[in-house]
Order: sequence, then structure tokens, then C-alpha cells
Amino acid sequence: MTAPTGARIIDRGYRPYTGPRLGATGAARSLVRHSAQRVMGLRRTASHKVLPMLSLAIAYVPAIVFVGLAALIKNSSLRRNFLPTYGQYYGFVVSALIVFASFVAPEALCPDRRNGMLGLYLAAPLTRTSYVVSKVAAVLGLLVLATLGPPLLMLVAFVLQGQGPDGPLGVLALLGRAVTAGLLVAGVYTAVSLGISSLTDRRAIASAATLLTIVGTGAVTGVLVNGVGLPEWLIAFDLTSSPFELVRAIYGETGDLRSTPISALVAVNLGWILLGGLVIWWRYRRIEVTK
Amino acid sequence: MAAIVSAAGVAKRFGNVVALADVTVEIDAGITGLLGANGAGKTTFIGLALGLTHPDDGRLEVLGRDPVRSGAEVRSLLGYSPEHQSLPPDVRAFDLVSHLAEVHGLPRRAATARASDALYQVGLGEERFRPVGTMSTGQKQRVKLAAALAHDPTLILLDEPTDGLDPVQRDDMLTLIRRVGHEFGMSILISSHLLDEVEKVCDSAVILADGRVAVSGSLDELRIRVGGWTVEVERGTTELVDSLRRAGVSASSDGSRVTIEGIATPEVLRDAVAHLGLALVRLERRRLSLEEVFLEAGVYG
Repeated sequence: MTAPTGARIIDRGYRPYTGPRLGATGAARSLVRHSAQRVMGLRRTASHKVLPMLSLAIAYVPAIVFVGLAALIKNSSLRRNFLPTYGQYYGFVVSALIVFASFVAPEALCPDRRNGMLGLYLAAPLTRTSYVVSKVAAVLGLLVLATLGPPLLMLVAFVLQGQGPDGPLGVLALLGRAVTAGLLVAGVYTAVSLGISSLTDRRAIASAATLLTIVGTGAVTGVLVNGVGLPEWLIAFDLTSSPFELVRAIYGETGDLRSTPISALVAVNLGWILLGGLVIWWRYRRIEVTK
Repeated sequence: MAAIVSAAGVAKRFGNVVALADVTVEIDAGITGLLGANGAGKTTFIGLALGLTHPDDGRLEVLGRDPVRSGAEVRSLLGYSPEHQSLPPDVRAFDLVSHLAEVHGLPRRAATARASDALYQVGLGEERFRPVGTMSTGQKQRVKLAAALAHDPTLILLDEPTDGLDPVQRDDMLTLIRRVGHEFGMSILISSHLLDEVEKVCDSAVILADGRVAVSGSLDELRIRVGGWTVEVERGTTELVDSLRRAGVSASSDGSRVTIEGIATPEVLRDAVAHLGLALVRLERRRLSLEEVFLEAGVYG
């Protein structure tokens, strides 16, 4: 029998690792990417992809339609009346954000405590702070896709169609407003969703509580202002309208809550972000992981 | 050789509960068993070594570094397999191990390659592409071990690695751990309350009782720490025991063996055997089983 040429023995014995180690920064980067993938249902069954993709579809489809309509409608005054402003567009995004914050984002935090991954992460070069920051970055990044992506898409398309703001400075100014508005809304919804998710390891409970909080603030402030007759600025606590009123102010548009001072809107929305951040910080400072 | 874990007067309390009171121990490279009854402080000690909790008192060094001040640096050199079995059920074993290797600082491509290797080394071939939730307890334990060694750590901390395994799986896992320790060149600290498994796989042991180190050292040292001798003769054990007792030596017989407790020189024993004209088969230091060491250390009160 002739031995085949080129045959070789492959040594599958243990080989030490001598390559580079990326330390805490590499660990955090990996966690952000992995968390974003899990939240979006990537590398998971189709059922896990439905809600995240639905959220993004709700956020993007109207923008794509409006860009198409803008190209078709040649009359500029008709176009102005028919198409929403950048600030008004957030009215189309709100349902996407509620779905995402309530049903998708809790996936970033809850399962790690339930299935013991938190202990494995904190046994790596990550710290409690870098773990939380990575999770927040993953969810914030995905929410920014919904809050910043559509206005940017519209801006780029309108500029290409010759319907955008005048000159590079005008484009830059609008870009700055879009980024500020997108980050603000994403920040509020990230803080509320992850703040609540940090309090329970049951995703379903976190989803229900987040939904109740967001919708509940609207219902409660509505009753307090319209029913009881308390001052209208309390509407600033309504998570379904307050961040979007602030967005319209950022875009220099007149909103629906004319009697609510901008300072109240700013304070309350930053307050939501601060409160969510404090809850997460408090919760993860105390949590025991070596079980 | 420098100790891989060094603790001096380490104390840890949770409210009114004293988990560790005054732990002073030096753990050398090799496979070390961290033994103790439930609640003895084993998991707390592992948590401190990982830098997940801070000692209330004392000084702890892991691989020559303070795990609190240099936590990230220390943990990049540690592998950890927790006691619990719950892992993300819908994640493939390969994806999990690869991700954890990346989280320990390996670049993505290296993490992927080493995850595959590590799962192969622990005996998971094609199963590595199955979701963890569909795996048996034995396979999950192997996945956890693969995740602990994929980034090529210097020290692996295994918390009850045979928990939930049947006897055959348990023996396989112990063989695997011994191989990782002796062939892969990694030091291993195994937390366990099962004496026989520590005896099978470990080079040394630290026995914790009530939050303190009851005894520690190599298994050979621990087995002879109480002193005494074992004499084996072909016939005449009764005469030998009587002769030794007359000479003031505490002795007892068990078949062809005579056990001498406490202080006695080998010359005394040799002379007694020679005087009686007995055929000496063996004369060696008395060696305890780990269970006897446990009892001698007063672990069970």
C-alpha cells in the first residue's frame, strides 16, 4: 500500500495562547456588540427578530414613504403642507420607541441575571460599571437607529433632491439638531427601560412595567391636568409626549404644549435619564453575583 | 515558587454573618482543592479571588496582584466556572465560549479559533453547535470548563465542577480537570465538599471550617500531619502490639497492619519487630485518608 502524498498528522493537543490580549476595552466592545445582536434577535430564532425588526420598520417606513412622496410632489407649497416637519416626524417614531423600550430592550439586562451570565461577565476583565455602560451603550445605540436614522435619511434624501436646508451651514445646523434630538429621545427611553429592567430578572415583568410606566405617565398626567385641573406643565412628565415636545423645540418648531415652559421639559426629561441611571447604578452596585 | 493565591488575615462579613473570619493561606501552582462543608466560605473565597467582593480585613493577592485594585488585570488571567448550571439556553455552546473568550480580551478571530479548540479538548465535538439548553448536565459542565480555559488563563477557579453529574460523568470530569491541570499547564482551584474527588484529582488542599483555614498543604503533607507509623508484618501483629504497648507506645492492629499513633521513632519499632523475630513487610509514616484529615481538623466539630 502506498502512503498518500501530502498526508500529515494534525496535532490537536492543547496550544497555549500567545497572541494579543485586548483587556477591559476589548471586553466592553465585545459585550456591546453581543448585547446589540441579542437584543435584535440576531443568531437567534425568527421569533426573536419579529419585535425588533417591527420597531425599526415602524420608525423607517414612513420616512422612506415621505422621501418618495417628496420626489413625486413637485409643487413646493403642497409638499410643505403634505409632508411632516422633522419635529413632527417623531410622532411616527413614538410607537416604535414604545415597542422597543417595552418589549425588546429588557432583553439586554434581565436574562443575564436570570441565567448566570452576569457572574461570568464580572469574572472577566469587565467591572460592574463597564458592564452597565456596555449594556446601556448597546440599547442606546439601537434606539438611536430609530430616533436618528429616519431624520438623517430624510435629510440626506431631501438634500439630494435639492429640497434640503440652504447651504452647508444650514445642513450642519439641521444635522446638529437631529443628533441632539435623537440622542435625547433615545436616552430617555433607554433610561426608563433599563432602569426598570435592572429591578427584575423576569423579562416579561420588565416589559409590562416599562409599558405601564410609559403609557401610565400619559394617563396620570392627563387626568391630573385635564380632570383635576392641576397646572399644565405637569404634562412634562408624560413620556409619550414630553420628549417629543422637546424635540420640536430643538428643531425650532412650535409644539402642542405651548403653556409648558421649555425649561420644565428639559428638566423633566433630563430627570428621567438621571433617575434611570441612578436606579441601574444602585441596583448593580448591590447585586451579588458569585452564586 | 511564588504562591498563586496568597491570603493573610482575610475576613469577610455579610451583615451579621461572618463568611470568612481570618483566612491565612498560601496556595502554590498545581491543582488545589478548596474543601469545606456547605457554608464554610468556599464560594466567598472564590468571589474575593475574582475581585467581585472586597475583603473587610486582611490582604489577598492573586497571581501577585491585588484583585480589588487590579481586578480587570487579574481577571484577564483567570478562568471561572460557576456552581450554577443555568446558562443561556438558546445560545450555541460554540457561540457562548467564543463570546466569553472575547470578553476575556481575546481578539475576535482568536476567540473563535480557541473556542473551537477548547470545546474539542473537553470532549465536545459536533455537540458544540447545539444550543446549551438542549445539553445534558454533564455537557453543560464541559461547556463551562471550556469557557473557563478558552482564553488560556493562568489560574482556573472551578466552583463545584461535578455538581449534578452521575458517577461516570463525574469520573470523566475529574480526569479532564486533571488533564487540564497537568497537561495544559494551568493551575486550578477547585471548590468542593466531596473529599474523594479532591483526593483523586488534587495535589494539595485547603480545608475551610467556620470561615477559617483548618489545615492546608500538599495532600502528602496533610496525610502524615498527625504523625505516627504503620508497620506491616507477615504474622505476629498481636505480639507486636503488646510489646509496643509495654514500651509505652500507643498501638493498635488491623489484620497484618499495626498502627502507631503519636510520637515514636522508627528505631523503636524496628527493634520491637526484630526482638520478636517477625518478618517486616513495610514500615512507613502513618497516612490518613482525606476524610480522616477532615475529622482530625475538627471540621465537623
